[in-house]
Amino acid sequence: MAGMDVAVTGLGLVTPAGNDTARSWQTICAGQPTADVDPGLAGNPVSISCRVTGFDPEELLGARRAHRLDRFVQFAVIAAREAVADSGLDPATWDGARVGVVMGTAGGGAATFEAQHRVLMEESPSWVSPLTLPMHLPNMVAGQLAMEFGATGPDLVVATACASGATALGTARDLLQLGRCDVVLAGGTEALLNPVTMAGFAKMGALSKRQDMPAEASRPFDVDRDGFVGGEGAALLVLERVDDARARGARIRARLVGYGATADAHHVTAPHPDGVGIEAAVRAALADAGAVPSDVGHVNAHGTSTPLNDLVEATMLSRVLPHRPLVTSTKGVTGHMMGAAGAVEAAFSVLAVEQGLVPPTANLNKLDPKIDIDVAARVTPRRIDLAISDSFGFGGQNAVLAFARA
Amino acid sequence: MFDTLKDILVKKLKVTPGQVTPDASREDIELDSLAVVELSMVLEQELGIVISDNELIDVPTVGDIARLMEERSAKI
Repeated sequence: MAGMDVAVTGLGLVTPAGNDTARSWQTICAGQPTADVDPGLAGNPVSISCRVTGFDPEELLGARRAHRLDRFVQFAVIAAREAVADSGLDPATWDGARVGVVMGTAGGGAATFEAQHRVLMEESPSWVSPLTLPMHLPNMVAGQLAMEFGATGPDLVVATACASGATALGTARDLLQLGRCDVVLAGGTEALLNPVTMAGFAKMGALSKRQDMPAEASRPFDVDRDGFVGGEGAALLVLERVDDARARGARIRARLVGYGATADAHHVTAPHPDGVGIEAAVRAALADAGAVPSDVGHVNAHGTSTPLNDLVEATMLSRVLPHRPLVTSTKGVTGHMMGAAGAVEAAFSVLAVEQGLVPPTANLNKLDPKIDIDVAARVTPRRIDLAISDSFGFGGQNAVLAFARA
Repeated sequence: MFDTLKDILVKKLKVTPGQVTPDASREDIELDSLAVVELSMVLEQELGIVISDNELIDVPTVGDIARLMEERSAKI
């Protein structure tokens, strides 16, 4: 199935680490945390986050378009423009019927919904905006990307909470291998730093309470970790079959060679204590790639910085990958970008494979003694033939992607 | 009244100022059915002028909308 393998030919990122791929990767490799006090969350139980900064939607999209798009769609459109340009494909000439869009998001335009609910309660139901649903519904991001690029093939949004971005990429790979599309714009986007969502996460006990030291709050695998820091942003990848990409002389950044998807069927938020679901997802991705565990040279972990996730994930990784490949969680820099995270970390995995560079895990001062894996504390040059990227969602959904050198 | 309408279209609906001329059609300023509902709401909220979206959608130009606003506000 080598010819049916899927190539990554374009990347686009809007993250707290930078508003394009180059700047995001630079911040990731420098291991610079982005968490800070968030004035938009003033009064919330936890009021720190990793915001995308310096992002001016009116300048980037025009005032009229920006006014009609929720922030989760704004991020996706800008990231998609970068990814398509990076791929060298020209939407003016492509056969749109053969171009699909698959996006992942956990919450869609929840901030729009929250704002309009305030109008309903404080003013009148009659003043609720007619743009409420076109801005809020999660599927709108795929609809807007279809309009932006004249993509008239399959156009969908998947929701597996914090695995959504990875599920989207895996689904896109399926569409390409089934021959339903020739090109898929796939990724994840999230803008869920609205007060209701973040209060809900705080009440679950999922968020770091290190509010006096926000830059040190997201510390995956560290012994002093106490929860995740919410992040926002988007990642888009342009995917094509390897044969098609080679035929048009495209630069292949890496190949998406495996996808594993499973469910814990255990608990709404807690991971299965034995990590059976996430292990099955890793093994499925490796089997799909025609690889064995010892082929894995790097893991971009889910690594949320919550006490439970990191312990269960690390225990699983030490069991499945006893040869100790170098593990990183880029969430130390970006925080947890929720439905975008799987796609963002897929993009970082692609760059790690392409450049032979394992990025560091920010804020790893002292590895949790209960964790027995090798976590990269600093950027490490290393040839990586195969990398996997883990993503796990509340609800028990697990998605693992495997990327190989071009 | 045209200037008042232009101000609302630009500030509230984010229409590009240069596009808002008396002769501009609904299509010229990209006033789709959703934006027409928005405009109807804003006119009532900001100015107390009641023109339903069903009425607005049949008005050919921005200048005609301004004239309709004048008629309605005269009745208040």
